[in-house]
Amino acid sequence: MTRFFNGLLHLRRGAWEMLASALIAAGVFMLMQPFALALYSWSFVITLLGTVMFIIVSHFPE
Amino acid sequence: MSYSVTEPSQRQKWFAGILVVGYALITILPLVWIIATSFKSPADAIAYPPKTFFTPTVEGYVNVFTTRTRLTEEQLKAVGEPQTWYERLVRKDGLVISGPSRFAERFTNSVIIGFGSTVLCIVLGTAAAYAFSRFKVPLKDDLLFFILSTRMMPPIAVAIPIFLMFRSLGLNDTHAGMILLYTAVNLSLSVWLLKGFIDEIPVEYEEAALIDGYTRFQAFYKVVLPQAATGIASTAIFCLIFAWNEYAFAVLLTSGNAQTAPPFIPTIIGVSGQDWPAVAAGATLFLVPVMVFTILLRKHLLRGITFGAVRK
Amino acid sequence: MLKSTVDRVAGATPHALAKRVRGLSDRSLAWLFVAPSIVLLLAVNIFPLIWTVRLSFTNFRVNRPNAEVQFIGLKNYLSILSDKDIWLTMQATAHFLIWTIVLQVLIGFSLAYLINKKFRGNDLWTTIIVLPMMLSPAVVGNFWTFLYQPQIGLFNYAVGFLTGADPSSFSMIGDVSLAPWAIIIVDTWMWTPFVMLICLAGLRSIPSSIYEAAECDRASKWRQFWTITIPLVLPFLMLAVLFRGIENFKMFDLVVQLTGGGPGSITELTSINLKREAFEKWRTGYASAYAVILFVTVFGLASIYVKALNKVKQR
Repeated sequence: MTRFFNGLLHLRRGAWEMLASALIAAGVFMLMQPFALALYSWSFVITLLGTVMFIIVSHFPE
Repeated sequence: MSYSVTEPSQRQKWFAGILVVGYALITILPLVWIIATSFKSPADAIAYPPKTFFTPTVEGYVNVFTTRTRLTEEQLKAVGEPQTWYERLVRKDGLVISGPSRFAERFTNSVIIGFGSTVLCIVLGTAAAYAFSRFKVPLKDDLLFFILSTRMMPPIAVAIPIFLMFRSLGLNDTHAGMILLYTAVNLSLSVWLLKGFIDEIPVEYEEAALIDGYTRFQAFYKVVLPQAATGIASTAIFCLIFAWNEYAFAVLLTSGNAQTAPPFIPTIIGVSGQDWPAVAAGATLFLVPVMVFTILLRKHLLRGITFGAVRK
Repeated sequence: MLKSTVDRVAGATPHALAKRVRGLSDRSLAWLFVAPSIVLLLAVNIFPLIWTVRLSFTNFRVNRPNAEVQFIGLKNYLSILSDKDIWLTMQATAHFLIWTIVLQVLIGFSLAYLINKKFRGNDLWTTIIVLPMMLSPAVVGNFWTFLYQPQIGLFNYAVGFLTGADPSSFSMIGDVSLAPWAIIIVDTWMWTPFVMLICLAGLRSIPSSIYEAAECDRASKWRQFWTITIPLVLPFLMLAVLFRGIENFKMFDLVVQLTGGGPGSITELTSINLKREAFEKWRTGYASAYAVILFVTVFGLASIYVKALNKVKQR
């Protein structure tokens, strides 16, 4: 866990990619879950955020 | 070492074998059923209980290639005796052949578009794959990801602008348009697969050739290409199969002229109701070549379906 | 024949000179080789994509070419993201997605595990199992409607034979409660081999020395399975799951031919719904916004997929 936060602090690729993947996964879950319409409405923003983030952070150093 | 602790026992092997063979038999059954139905008569095809044993007939194949009309007794007499074996076959049901169906045409379209796009795909793909494998291309990883991501896109979503673009360029429902489109769709596969194959060829061969006075280009087509021949052949078969099977673009962007077989086969209907043997005959003619190619490809299947990432 | 003359001259001259004769450095050759592919992809993929994004902010309709096209900002997005019907479509897709993945992973992994026991003739049977995967989904879907016919269909007959139910008493594609399962069954039949092949590759990549070491430590078979087999196959399994997830998220051909989204809209998956909006209702601007939402989702999943791909590659 500490390594993960260290990675975030030092702009390391691995940790940030993990975070972006988590955002994308959350967005996809929100898009298709049957529980709340509000989650569905916000899903696209989250997925977009995660995807853009992924593209940026994949250029960070290892 | 002949004995290993990890080697499964004879009993385990038997157990595993029986289960896998059982699954294989169940999974192959629908395919066998398609082929069997194509040789049934329409009455046998819809018999209850489903018939395992039947007198084979090629009526389905005759029906898939022809259109037929039903005539009354007097009209039949006026037409005269059937001349050929296939006319005699449909005459049994009181029908006459009124012309060829569009199946042969659609099938030919599939062949033209499939082969055309495959050739283009291989030419473009081999060149790009060689460059990605051997040279320092700026933004290499991003370009490779970009190429792969084009394949992941949902075809229906891409089809909206392509439909508009093709319409304004006059490419809608043309062979050229479909070849171009399928090339673009399969290009990602061919680049990624071929890069994997070319990566495996030792660079030393080319270096030796370069020292011998070959140019880069000569080294590419005199040394690398022959070495990559197997890889190129299997990539080509993959591209061919995917273009052959494609449905979404074909159904949205083609209607008459350049329609391929997949959107056509489901529309086959007989003179009275759904003619299952004819549908089965069309499907059989369409699917069996792919089955044969799959068997030929079995060693490289895994590469093909994972874009060359998993090798063994 | 000019070219071959140049070739001969180039071949006979020293390397540095030859390059000048051909006029092609490695760098320019690299560009020459990559450019055509990139140009084609830009023209057939990226240009339309940008066009879609632009259209998604308008109320353009293809079937009304004379109507004035207005920029309506985010209105399309807002109405899609608050549309309950599209939300239901997404849920139908999720139901399809989750069950196909669960079934395919369970059956596919079990099969791979069994095949890895290396019984005699396993190659032949593997090839037979793999066959459905390479076939045209549309043609297969169409033919399964025949197998699913009440009374005369092979599937109904087999179910009737095994359970004693009357084969004409149920219709897999006509019944609201059965149709979602009808598409899951066909997809599982078709794509289990895919998961199986990838799992098999994962199982075969585990060196037997690891098991031998575990055997020396007296680890039970059960423990070996959970601490060696599963963790080492997991990256491969992830790859298979992500790929099937992306493919089934955009599933179109198989289901369109099988149920056409029906009965009602119970099996109307996202792509089928989008097709209706774009090519039946011709709400092009609206459908473009819909398409962009799917794009971004698939693009996000694809980037995770490539990460998983690289992880497997390193092995």
